[in-house]
Amino acid sequence: MKTTGIVVIGAGPAGIAAALAAAEVGTSVTVIDEHPAVGGQLRWRIAPLRGLDEALDGLPACRAAETLHERLAASGVSVLAGAVAWGLFEDGSLAVAAPDGGFRLQAEKIVVATGSVDLVLPFAGWTLPGVLTARAAQIMLHLHRVLPGRRVAVIGEGLDAAELASDLEMAGAEVVLRAADPAQVVASGEGRVERVSANGERREADAVVIALGRQPDPELALQAQVEFGYSVRLGCHLPLRSELLETSRPGLYVAGEAAGAVDLAESFAEGRLAGLAAAGATPERIATAQEALARARSPERSAEVDRMRPGSLGEARPETGTGAPWTSWAEAAAGGGQDDTLARVALCRCEQVTVGEVRQAIEEGALTINDIKRRTRAGMGLCQGIFCTRAMALLLHASRGIPLSEIAPMTERPPTRPIPLASLVEIEE
Amino acid sequence: MDEAPSNGAGDLRVWHHPVLGELQEARPVQITVDGQPLVAREGEVIAAALLAHGILVCRAMPRGREPRGVFCALGRCSDCLITVDGEPNVRACLTPVREGQVIWTQAGLGRWEGPAG
Ligand SMILES: Cc1cc2nc3c(=O)[nH]c(=O)nc-3n(C[C@H](O)[C@H](O)[C@H](O)COP(=O)(O)OP(=O)(O)OC[C@H]3O[C@@H](n4cnc5c(N)ncnc54)[C@H](O)[C@@H]3O)c2cc1C
Ligand code: FES
Repeated sequence: MKTTGIVVIGAGPAGIAAALAAAEVGTSVTVIDEHPAVGGQLRWRIAPLRGLDEALDGLPACRAAETLHERLAASGVSVLAGAVAWGLFEDGSLAVAAPDGGFRLQAEKIVVATGSVDLVLPFAGWTLPGVLTARAAQIMLHLHRVLPGRRVAVIGEGLDAAELASDLEMAGAEVVLRAADPAQVVASGEGRVERVSANGERREADAVVIALGRQPDPELALQAQVEFGYSVRLGCHLPLRSELLETSRPGLYVAGEAAGAVDLAESFAEGRLAGLAAAGATPERIATAQEALARARSPERSAEVDRMRPGSLGEARPETGTGAPWTSWAEAAAGGGQDDTLARVALCRCEQVTVGEVRQAIEEGALTINDIKRRTRAGMGLCQGIFCTRAMALLLHASRGIPLSEIAPMTERPPTRPIPLASLVEIEE
Repeated sequence: MDEAPSNGAGDLRVWHHPVLGELQEARPVQITVDGQPLVAREGEVIAAALLAHGILVCRAMPRGREPRGVFCALGRCSDCLITVDGEPNVRACLTPVREGQVIWTQAGLGRWEGPAG
């Protein structure tokens, strides 16, 4: 087992800010990211940055990622790229699968800055080749310079969907359809997307991009059995944190979108505060970082953060979340409508379990996500539930009336990713 | 932007981009996909090479042989599993192309070697 100072998991804006801040204080810092390069979501976005610092503002996000990389390199932080942190255990040790093998790390302090994943909801035809998440589309367009299709439909109505539509057009694709509500979308074709229809409109298309927004990915922290609460704004559970972003497990911090931060500026400011706190910076420095974080947050977001402190049990209000499109998706998925196309659609892509099968498990008595999982295998596949847990919770909520706040997230167990057997074997040695 | 990028038939590459500029020359890499020769660009992942040539299907699922292709491009969904040089269940979205690589798209038959599932 290797022992080290501070380990930051995730080299997106939050993780980079945390690592730079901790290094400033003079602590030894290692930052781990599963991708070959640092920058997190910035790597594949081209929108100009706003609200970080003078050197970064105005740069396309992907160029800013390069600048952040240079800052890391100059700071003495050791960067472990291409390495997945796949388990955070009761004893505080961290399991890592790196390109050259697996190992365990015992860190003095850990900052989880694992960001978010794309929020997706099932719709008819969503397993067809040609249907991609927003990130996949941006990665293809900007990192690999390949169009996911020439005629593309975009699902979603928020800022992410607007960014995707603009990205696609800039790269030379045609956006043939925009739809807000995934429950209304039908993609069809012979072995791949050929047509898309929504709200009475029907278009020939060769790709569909799901840009419904992002959902926090705090899996590693949840594995460590930290106290968590419910975020009404995001409609999901999040680790509870102190004012210094420490979880109920001493020495374990969560920062950025993994903890529910809404944007880049907040993620960056959270990262800096967590890094300083973990490194034991002076109270003055910490106070300055707290003020900067307060400025980066909207009043509504600040109020939510204040309600979600360890020991507070979080919020429990019987709401679906922030309304459309989830509410209408949940109602459509629960059935009873005339047109029940969703019943035959895979809710769990990996294990090919349909919405109808999950609905039946609920009718037969499943009351929790773990119940559904045991009865149907939904959520037991290689994606570890990241693309289906939200849909399961919405379906439970809509068919049983259980408030989303009371639907506990799936029990998180290592590994968080499918990892090569060799990594496990080496750890046992 | 007044000029649409010239993606010729069968070529989905983004040669011109108003923010990213021209696509730089890359060394061509010869690979074989389901028995057919195909030219990829050095440094790209297999999924990009397949998509650029209009190949969308990576695998077929056990149930109904339902076809799947790149969904997340981040190694999280496993819809892009293919067989590379005899090794099954390789994620096309994370694995770089290499000269002489022999790739078979996968019909849901590969063995998963990891502990998950
Ligand atoms: C389409 C789109 C539009 C957006 N528009 C805006 C906007 O207009 N304004 C704005 O401010 N923000 C916007 N954002 C959001 C902004 O990019 C994020 O707020 C920011 O990237 C979050 O930073 P983060 O460090 O918390 O997470 P991320 O950037 O997601 O970084 C997390 C990192 O952790 C790594 N990781 C995760 N799990 C592990 C693990 N187990 N082991 C190792 N590494 C791991 C990941 O590889 C990743 O690099 C947008 C994002 C998208 C996708
Ligand atoms: S496309 Fe999801 S793992 Fe490759």
